[in-house]
Amino acid sequence: MSEVRELPLVEAIREAYRQEMERDERVFMVGQDIAGGIFPHTKGLVEQFGTDRIVDTPLAEVGMYGTAFGAAMEGFRPIVDFMFAGFFLNAASPILAQTAQFRFIHGSQMSLPMVITAACGAGMRLGNEHAMLVHNMIAQVPGIKVCMPSTPYDAKGLMTAAIRDDNPVAFIWHLGTMMDRGPVPEEPYVVPLGVADVKREGSDVTLVANGFQYKNAEIVADKLAGEISVEIIDPRSFSPLDIDTILKSLEKTGRLVVVDESWESRSTASEIAAQVVDVGFDLLDAPIRRVTIPNIPLPGGHMEPYVAPNPDAIEAAVRDVCR
Amino acid sequence: MALGKEQMALLYRNLIRADHFDKMMMNRIMQGKLIGFYHPGDGAMAAGVGASTFLGDNDILNPHHRAHGLGYAAGRGIDVGRYLAEHTGKVDGCCGGRSSFHWSFPEKKLYGASGFIGWHFCPVVGWGWASKRKGNQMVLMASGDGSYGQGGAHEAMLFAMNWKLPIVFFCENNGMAIHSTISDMHPMPDISSLAQGYGMPAVVIDGQDVFAVAETVIAAREHALAGKGPTFVEAKTLRLREHDVGTPDLARAEPRDAQYLEELKKRDPVVLATTRVLAEKVLTQKQIDEIYKEAKEEVAAIEKFADDSPIAQPSIEELLAGVYVA
Repeated sequence: MSEVRELPLVEAIREAYRQEMERDERVFMVGQDIAGGIFPHTKGLVEQFGTDRIVDTPLAEVGMYGTAFGAAMEGFRPIVDFMFAGFFLNAASPILAQTAQFRFIHGSQMSLPMVITAACGAGMRLGNEHAMLVHNMIAQVPGIKVCMPSTPYDAKGLMTAAIRDDNPVAFIWHLGTMMDRGPVPEEPYVVPLGVADVKREGSDVTLVANGFQYKNAEIVADKLAGEISVEIIDPRSFSPLDIDTILKSLEKTGRLVVVDESWESRSTASEIAAQVVDVGFDLLDAPIRRVTIPNIPLPGGHMEPYVAPNPDAIEAAVRDVCR
Repeated sequence: MALGKEQMALLYRNLIRADHFDKMMMNRIMQGKLIGFYHPGDGAMAAGVGASTFLGDNDILNPHHRAHGLGYAAGRGIDVGRYLAEHTGKVDGCCGGRSSFHWSFPEKKLYGASGFIGWHFCPVVGWGWASKRKGNQMVLMASGDGSYGQGGAHEAMLFAMNWKLPIVFFCENNGMAIHSTISDMHPMPDISSLAQGYGMPAVVIDGQDVFAVAETVIAAREHALAGKGPTFVEAKTLRLREHDVGTPDLARAEPRDAQYLEELKKRDPVVLATTRVLAEKVLTQKQIDEIYKEAKEEVAAIEKFADDSPIAQPSIEELLAGVYVA
């Protein structure tokens, strides 16, 4: 068997776009400066699919988003790119108040198949507007799914799943993973939404981490190897959240640390902690620790390394629950 | 393009039906037999009827909150029994009794009112984009004058003109937004003046004249279907009553002038249309009497249907199953 080809994460996303647009004529992309490829995930697509399916819009997020929203109601399957995830807030009302809840409120009669995508994350010292992670804001609202890949394999599979899903799906990707290389099969495949992945097996502590923070989790697990055996679970989706995989891991480890590149309060880390205490209290041998951004706006400049979750903070939390 | 007598008779019939529907809703909210609000359309039902009666089956239509879209519902030919059942939280409601007055008939591409005034300026871009690609349909984007304060309105007009989308921006300008007058909210008396900046054709018409509205929208629809892009149609209308039943009828913080409101009643579209259909011998008084009788019978059947339908109270499990497509 030949070795599986390696691709950077951003090219894995692009391959999902390309294959799904070849497979289904209803799929198209809309965004700002996507034809030229302000991020390389759309680079070159306009040459194959033309401006009818790689649609650049004026600098107007409501109209841009509306292109996708209305077209989805008319049977198209749009992918709408917000460039930086924080910019989604310019269209938060139609996304969260209308799109996500539209199907239910209108009697579950219609579907709104669409992908809302954007890059995000700390690491470029750009400050809150560009770095803000929005996954928890979106995931709080019923009717929309939310996922973020940690590896190129998951990136292609989750994007393919998101495009084929009949619900609105927010696919957020972290800039700190953009050029990470990993094995990506050439044929189309799906990584199911709402299914977590045990990325590393261990027996002493369950460490939940995703996106760029998954990489930090691996750094910590490598460092502690031989001393503390760390099991890493990547939730992959924030909504729906696969709590069962985390509970199953806790049966073995009894200890839980959740890393979430988001504010400490009301985050996915908080949600996982609440659900585990609710239905898995007897599995715990130690308090749950959350590694998050303190409740302050994410500053730019030189403060990101210690304000955002980092290997030192994760290691300290792991050691704390394993005392 | 002048309307034929059959078209005029159909418009007249729909206007009388819509007027009866509006009065039905007024009566019911006063009797406590309606959930939530009712934003009466009394004296202003012609615009919706004229704009919607001659749309194609594939066209997308999205009425706003005034009269809860009943003028448009009458023109579109929806099952108003299911509409009223929705407004009363019944199982036969068009949205399963979940939507309060945020009703829709998705199978008819009729997406009704929202409390987020101007929400539809967002999806209208995609409706127009999709319609242009399909080639055999257009969008009638209905709203009031107040909604043109929303930034999304300007984004929608920008996109529509950039991409020559088949959209009719149909503005019912009644000069009032709750208690605010148009002179407080817009620098120009005509909302359609906004279209100028986008190079969009615009026309101001008498929204009390159901026939003039229909003629204008038919022409704007043909313009759209011919690939020539959007049109702004501003239908000047009025508001005889308060914003919604139970709210004081103020202009800014003062009661609206009673004598002025009495004057407005002379512009009732039913009076204007009746005068014309008789004068032009489109209908006889006997035929008009028959239309009124049928409208009353239709309202009775609508109310019976909605009242007979059981209250919708599905289990939490059933509701959870309706959030996502499985």
